[in-house]
Amino acid sequence: MSEASKLGCDPMEAAAAEGEAHGAPASPGGPSEAASTSEAAGPDSRPLGPGDAPAASPPPPPPAAAAAAEAGGDEEDPKAPLQAAAAAAAAAAQAQPAPRAGPAAAGPAAAAPPTAAQLVQKAHELMWYVLARQQRRAALWFPDMVRDVLSGGYKKWCRSILRRTSLLLARVFGLHLRLASLHTLEFSLVRALEPAELERVALGAAAGGGPGGAGGRMPMMGLLLMVLGLIYVKGRGARESAVWNVLRILGLRPWKKHPTFGDVRRLLTEELVQQRYLKYQRVPGAEPPEYEFLWGPRAAREITKLQIMEYLARVFKKDPQAWPTRYREALQEARARRAAAPPTPCPRNSFSED
Amino acid sequence: MQGSSRRTGTMTDVHRRFLQLLMTHGVLEEWEVKRLQKHCYKVHDSNAPVEKLEDFIHNINSVLESLYIEIKKGVSEDDGRPIYALVNLATTAVSKMASDFAENELDLFRKALELIIDSETGFASSTNILNVVDQLKGKKMRKKEAEQVLQKFVQNKWLIEKEGEFTLHTRAILEMEQHIRETYPDAVKICNICHGLLIQGQSCETCGIRMHLPCVAKYFQSNSEPRCPNCNDYWPHEIPEVFDPEKETGAALSKPNRKSLRPRPH
Repeated sequence: MSEASKLGCDPMEAAAAEGEAHGAPASPGGPSEAASTSEAAGPDSRPLGPGDAPAASPPPPPPAAAAAAEAGGDEEDPKAPLQAAAAAAAAAAQAQPAPRAGPAAAGPAAAAPPTAAQLVQKAHELMWYVLARQQRRAALWFPDMVRDVLSGGYKKWCRSILRRTSLLLARVFGLHLRLASLHTLEFSLVRALEPAELERVALGAAAGGGPGGAGGRMPMMGLLLMVLGLIYVKGRGARESAVWNVLRILGLRPWKKHPTFGDVRRLLTEELVQQRYLKYQRVPGAEPPEYEFLWGPRAAREITKLQIMEYLARVFKKDPQAWPTRYREALQEARARRAAAPPTPCPRNSFSED
Repeated sequence: MQGSSRRTGTMTDVHRRFLQLLMTHGVLEEWEVKRLQKHCYKVHDSNAPVEKLEDFIHNINSVLESLYIEIKKGVSEDDGRPIYALVNLATTAVSKMASDFAENELDLFRKALELIIDSETGFASSTNILNVVDQLKGKKMRKKEAEQVLQKFVQNKWLIEKEGEFTLHTRAILEMEQHIRETYPDAVKICNICHGLLIQGQSCETCGIRMHLPCVAKYFQSNSEPRCPNCNDYWPHEIPEVFDPEKETGAALSKPNRKSLRPRPH
């Protein structure tokens, strides 16, 4: 279940606050990313050597090359893009002795690879580091991780260490360490919530007295589901005017400030768009200019059509089959998802390749 | 792979969510922890009976053991309220802070820590702390900056400020007790009752032993003639009341032998 294996996801905005949902992995995105960057990993493998000056050992090119070869074949290999980028980052970010109050991390001896126990220890340190950063809502930047935790000869083992850390985080904390942006090498820690869970949270089943972080997002999810439902029922996109007609029923108007949502219009057209849940674009050819809302890529990933149908059914007190075409679509999508994403955990339970 | 989930205790989504949220908040008081536990049950498994908090936490800790982290329960030194924090046992230094603060800020904290440990009352005045600002490692820090850094420590619950003086937040004690005892073995004070690290407390004027305020409260509870457990001399200080979670408002608790009433640190 290593979330690190889903690193080929679309680069998304780094969710500095806890992301509420994770949902199905974007497996189509994965193979193409790995394939395109594996070539980059080839020539870049040598810079890993100089970047690893303290270790000063010949090993860098062979493991890197082997990894690149592996990346080409194994489309699920998470670290090929990471490694290529790490090579670039290593050259850029000088390994300044970080102001660490030094936990007792005995680096490996000059040419000896670190033992499994040392790798495990590093994984624990990295896990704690990630959690502490997350708590402070500080950015999780890969070069920082390397500088603060994986100093010494550990950088070339970052792959396995990262994998172990993601596994730990998933198993113990139920959090997924996901590469939020391939360009900036930023990670984010998102909650691994089941789709059904998302609905329950979204519809406020856990309302009342929930700790701060969760409380703020719940009403927003309800609003979002409403808008998404409307768009879905309309087919492809919903004109802004239509959306406001619906929201008027809830007492939300574009010009009025709402006690819970604040500036609703801004929420819909800016925040939710930024978070990739919605798309807000101009209707081509409409005069005077009109805008419409569409499903955003993140919504498509995290929220299933069936959920929307159930939600609509609940809201309108109708059977989901009252929208027959849509319902059929939703069933189709559910079937496709089940076929694409096998529910069993990631088979990478052995670390023999390290 | 660590067989942590296969060993003692089973992690369910209830436990995971609990851990996530505890981690987010950093440190929580006991009533908040109970509420959090109920919330996690409601969200994930509303039919299951809510386990007793002690067992619930023990269960989680058995899984965390192999990772060298633990949900630790501590007691605040001033009014005895129980608090919980997720602490990292593996490292001996202030590594949780290390990722959040710059080198000179960490050194400032270290200096403040030393002053607090060496002080008689467990408090270090801001003047004394600011006086060592020139000796800090790393980038040069001005006194104005240092004041702000101290405030940052307070906001992040590493220090507590009271009337211009600083002491350690319970969270800092929970996280760093090990480190402090190892780094300053001669200077640290220990409570005579619980043998834990003591920063604030009462001391016997005759033989010098010290006790935490909540430990004093419990030890001398309903004792009309409190006497020092060591030298049997009359205990000269006002005995605080035992922390009662029912009486949540601060006014209900009698204040210990301090200069004046203090606001709740949390």
